[in-house]
Amino acid sequence: MDLAAQIANGFAVALTPINLLYCFIGVFIGTLVGVLPGIGPISAMSLLLPVTLSGTPESGIIMMAGIYYGSMYGGSTTSILVNIPGEATSVVTCLDGHQMAKQGRAGPALGMAAFSSFIAGTAAVVGLMIIAPFLASFAVAFGPAEMFSLMVLGLVIVTFLTQGSMLKSLLMASAGIVLGLIGLDSITAQARLTFGRIELYDGIGLVPVVMGLFGVSEVLSNIEQGIKRTVTNTAIGSKLPTSDDWQRSRGPIWRGTVLGFFLGIIPGGGAVIASFASYALEKRVSKTPERFGKGAIEGVAGPEAANNAAAGGAFIPLLTLGIPPNVVMALLLGSFVIHNITPGPLLMMQRPDLFWGVITSMYIGNVMLLVLNLPLIGMWVQLLRLPYNILFPMILLFTVVGVFASSNNVFDLYVMIAFGIFGYLARKLGYEAAPLVLAFVLGSIMENKLRTALIISSGEISTFVKKPISAVCLAIAAIMLLLPLIPALRRKREAVALEDGNN
Amino acid sequence: MKSSGLRINNAELWGGAIWFAISLFVVDQGRRLGLGSINHPGMGFMMFWLGLVMAGLSLGVAVQSIKGEGPSLRALWAETRWAKTLIVIAAFVVYALAFTQLGFLLSTVPLMLVLLRAIDPVRWTIAVPLSFGAPLLIWWALKSLLQIQLPSGMFEIG
Repeated sequence: MDLAAQIANGFAVALTPINLLYCFIGVFIGTLVGVLPGIGPISAMSLLLPVTLSGTPESGIIMMAGIYYGSMYGGSTTSILVNIPGEATSVVTCLDGHQMAKQGRAGPALGMAAFSSFIAGTAAVVGLMIIAPFLASFAVAFGPAEMFSLMVLGLVIVTFLTQGSMLKSLLMASAGIVLGLIGLDSITAQARLTFGRIELYDGIGLVPVVMGLFGVSEVLSNIEQGIKRTVTNTAIGSKLPTSDDWQRSRGPIWRGTVLGFFLGIIPGGGAVIASFASYALEKRVSKTPERFGKGAIEGVAGPEAANNAAAGGAFIPLLTLGIPPNVVMALLLGSFVIHNITPGPLLMMQRPDLFWGVITSMYIGNVMLLVLNLPLIGMWVQLLRLPYNILFPMILLFTVVGVFASSNNVFDLYVMIAFGIFGYLARKLGYEAAPLVLAFVLGSIMENKLRTALIISSGEISTFVKKPISAVCLAIAAIMLLLPLIPALRRKREAVALEDGNN
Repeated sequence: MKSSGLRINNAELWGGAIWFAISLFVVDQGRRLGLGSINHPGMGFMMFWLGLVMAGLSLGVAVQSIKGEGPSLRALWAETRWAKTLIVIAAFVVYALAFTQLGFLLSTVPLMLVLLRAIDPVRWTIAVPLSFGAPLLIWWALKSLLQIQLPSGMFEIG
């Protein structure tokens, strides 16, 4: 089947009424969690993971994907109107977006954020369609050694990009791998670290771990600090940017799209780094860099395009290699696994309906998001006025229900609370949760690939450096591990390091 | 925040010490599970080596604290509303223990009341309807729309 026929097949799947409904629910919830500070796509996707069980795999995955790219749209609204990023990906949008709002130009800022998100999101889907099949055919050649090394590289990049001490990030990643090894051994099928608990034979559930580390611990930290927010009391007015706004934003949108898309593909990269990189790039190429931070529309258009393009690009490693490049994609991997589907190079051949259905649904989702984020912006603004003391009990209630419903087992509630307390203490001590979660998901796969590679090569450790792809991955990982040892580079890393938890 | 020399109340020191203990546990578990050989690695192979890596990393964190880096334990909770956080944790633990015994509805309503009134108090006229209404609505939606049964407890309510 040629590409056009496959795309047509994908649209046939995505346009069925039930999939349209799931897509709408996904992008609606995505916008909702994007708008609300303190709850992100990770919590929302964890919460809705059990819901995907009740429908077809494509419906569930379309909805989960919608939450992710939908949250990229919603995050900008809070940044512009409240000066608090709804998502980590919208941190940069605060700089110029909120300044525009204070100058009475909230409408064009919101409008440009939505339009640039739409353009970049749609362009990223086109890129995904072109690159994914090519990469999938290339990925078939990946053996256990290459897969292991690529996962090592992904983990090292995540630890490199997270905030604070790299030692601590590496500790969290190592702990994540160990936690991922709990349960039945993938090669001998014998139990390990189960301590006689039947609940642990299948390993610790991803949902309670993520909900605890991101949902519960976030609430605990917010309660401790006491969140206060004020919505800018300015009339939003017309959301349509002027022709001058478009003139200024055209370049940033396309540069942000290309930059974001490729940064999204890199394991450990993603939407947060893409938005920062785009802002830095626009400031550098601008003839009037002094306008940045004072309400320059380029500072909204570029980063918003970049984070949406990165969200599209991030699907490539998951769909073609079966490797989630960030925590959100790890959750998406979870929803594939729930339906006994293995994402990877064979997905396109074995389940073309699912593969193309999910991709084409993103076109439709982007159109839905444009409607949700322009004419309905007033609704989201009202939502921002909901006080946190009402919101946080609701978030906790949803986490409890989500965790219980995912397994029908009260043991998962205990796990969630334990990880919630652990996550809260870890934040206090400067340990980031993102490397732990990604390592937790990759842990058992990594171990399986390592042992398989060693068995196949009769214990030849050099197999990891003899294979070119594996050698390159390990070399880059080694360089990234050594870089922070150079004081000047360490300072630079700390300057760009990001909280990637919501990425 | 920073001062030179070893301080027993240094948060980094405690963090490093706890991680070191965990890593020793991981090494021990890996050894017990069996390392196997290099051409046929056993169940504990990766765990054992990871445990050693973790031990090295945790020692690194502890050494940084000896060099004077890191805040004191007291500083971490200074000027925070830590008592409110403790209330939420305690409420959550009690809730989890009561969840199967009392059932979803009977245990969730008091939890919501505590959360709405004990942290940043919400008016009773909002707190009471929300505490009853939200769990009821969720219970109905899960049972009727998604066919997910929440625990009804010893009183079989719900």
